[in-house]
Amino acid sequence: MAGLELRNISKSYGAVSVIEGINLEVTDGEFVALVGPSGCGKSTILRMIAGLEDITGGDISIGGEIVNDLTPKERNIAMVFQSYALYPHMNVYRNMAFNLELAGKPKAEIDRRVRAAATMLELEPLLDRKPSQLSGGQRQRVAMGRALVRDPSVFLFDEPLSNLDAKLRVQMRSEIKQLHKKVGVTSVYVTHDQVEAMTLADRVVVLNKGIIQQAGSPMELYRQPANTFVAGFIGSPAMNFFEATIVGGAARTAPGVSFEFRPASRLTEGQPVTVGVRPEHFQRTGQGPGLTGPVSIVEPTGGQTFVTVDLAGQPTVVTVSGDDLVEAETNLTLYTSPQQVYVFDRETGTRLSEN
Amino acid sequence: MTDTAPPIDAASAPTSGHSLGIRTRTYLYAALLIVAAVVLVPLVTTALGGFKTLGDLRGNAFGLPQTWMFSNYTDILVSQRYWLQMGNSLLIAGLTVFLVLTLAAMAAFVFAHVKFFGSQHLLNYFLIGLMFPAATAILPLFIRIRDLGLLDTYWGVVLPQAAFGLGMSILLFRNYFRGMPLELFDAAFVDGAGYFRFFWHITLPLSRPIIATVGIISFVGSWNSYILPLILLNSESKYPWPLGIMVYRGEFSTDWQLILAFITLTITPTIIVFFVAQKHIIAGLTAGAVK
Ligand SMILES: Nc1ncnc2c1ncn2[C@@H]1O[C@H](COP(=O)(O)OP(=O)(O)O)[C@@H](O)[C@H]1O
Ligand SMILES: [Mg+2]
Repeated sequence: MAGLELRNISKSYGAVSVIEGINLEVTDGEFVALVGPSGCGKSTILRMIAGLEDITGGDISIGGEIVNDLTPKERNIAMVFQSYALYPHMNVYRNMAFNLELAGKPKAEIDRRVRAAATMLELEPLLDRKPSQLSGGQRQRVAMGRALVRDPSVFLFDEPLSNLDAKLRVQMRSEIKQLHKKVGVTSVYVTHDQVEAMTLADRVVVLNKGIIQQAGSPMELYRQPANTFVAGFIGSPAMNFFEATIVGGAARTAPGVSFEFRPASRLTEGQPVTVGVRPEHFQRTGQGPGLTGPVSIVEPTGGQTFVTVDLAGQPTVVTVSGDDLVEAETNLTLYTSPQQVYVFDRETGTRLSEN
Repeated sequence: MTDTAPPIDAASAPTSGHSLGIRTRTYLYAALLIVAAVVLVPLVTTALGGFKTLGDLRGNAFGLPQTWMFSNYTDILVSQRYWLQMGNSLLIAGLTVFLVLTLAAMAAFVFAHVKFFGSQHLLNYFLIGLMFPAATAILPLFIRIRDLGLLDTYWGVVLPQAAFGLGMSILLFRNYFRGMPLELFDAAFVDGAGYFRFFWHITLPLSRPIIATVGIISFVGSWNSYILPLILLNSESKYPWPLGIMVYRGEFSTDWQLILAFITLTITPTIIVFFVAQKHIIAGLTAGAVK
């Protein structure tokens, strides 16, 4: 086991720069999720850590040792791929044993380690099967078993659950979390699904266009997003944004419609800003004038209902309790509290409010 | 951890034949029958002709034999000459197949997975070979083989045959290798395999269809090859069967029934080999066509 550090990592394909100056430290035993939209460079970062892709600039170290020029084998990492990449002609046992066989480990040791991993993942009854005779979830577990047997310093996951159906994904998600609790290996987990990242990781790194937007605990990212991108990416349904200007210390979106908030620094009168309010932060009761608008869409999901309200001429999603009966075409008055109103610089997207 | 979905069965995909109308299918089968007849009639006529007497063959070329002359076949089967020529053909074909498979698979693996300066040009260079049948190069070939001191040796036939087979074989192998998922390569690399072990432990075991296909194509090509051995071999003791037949015909020029029996016995091995490998061949030829 070992920590992992990326120092000023960059990657370009020819003239196209894909990753720009990534700095990231993963402490020993930590579970870090890299999350971001498709094409933002997550897989590229993971493959550079694995040694499957050259780095254009910077240093990668594992356990304090710079590994830039080491092969994947020498880095002692294990990787779980999106397509699982199981060897179709080998049974489950050999899929898991292959790496140890290549390393020239004695038969008895291979057997002991494969069986230990199989026990941990409840794969013993499947050891003789070929990958084609397994269900999606079982293949997923074999892929993890294959990574597990080698006792790696770092575990790398590249969207390992995206080929599974929704129910199985939730189940495997908690299995991965339990597994990490048991073995405690430093892990980097790539996903485009913010819920997956939030639920699994000790720390979430939000990536966009090859640049780290913010890194922090799931609740930090949720409560104190650094900018509009993170604010909009984390949380579901996504945060509502309004264009506004600073008038008398509040953010005014339209005549008579303004949001009270807690500024983090001095703001100038008339400064253009973006106001963000999460759907779950609108209340049905409160002080002050409130915001009133007509309900256009009502989407019940059971415990919660998502209601779309036109506020200041803009469709706004509001989460209300499933017990609250809201009907379309009626008017709804909503309240916000100042510490749950996010204000961002309109141009740079940086957060200006204290939350 | 209790999911137990049934195993996925790739073979149960619907075949396109079900969607064809009855009319289209009638035409299709008619066409297939004609093609089958064109192939089968000479084969069957030859095989049956081998069972006839000469008089029977003259008067009744296409019907069943009046008396079944099994001795035509058994006489050949006990003759030393038949087995000698069979052995020669097998040896030449076997060596050719071995060379083509080994060299083409390794070269194709590099073309499929390794980017190096000029790789495309080098591949094109190999493919140029596709455009020239061996016969066109027969004179320079003869001179080169003579200079190498390989005239009238098995290798003298095997080497040029393998060389002319490489272009097509490399192309077939490369397309097949390209169709294999790249993540397999990554996984094996992380597992500690290099190019060589990936080739040996992953690529080859997954390439049975294409190995069978290329193997059969070069086997049949060598088995039926006539011009190259004719030019390059002198001793009758080294003749493969197509040359043997010519000698045989010279000696038994009037006994056509014996020649037909001889031909039947010599083409039987290719037919057997083909039926054994046919499942793989079809998979191999269509692989890479659909991604
Ligand atoms: N071999 C390559 N050559 C050129 N561009 C590439 C290559 N691999 C990836 N890219 C580009 O790099 C970017 C990041 O890709 P990737 O890391 O796969 O994204 P993600 O995993 O976040 O979806 C994409 O814009 C992609 O087009
Ligand atoms: Mg990716």
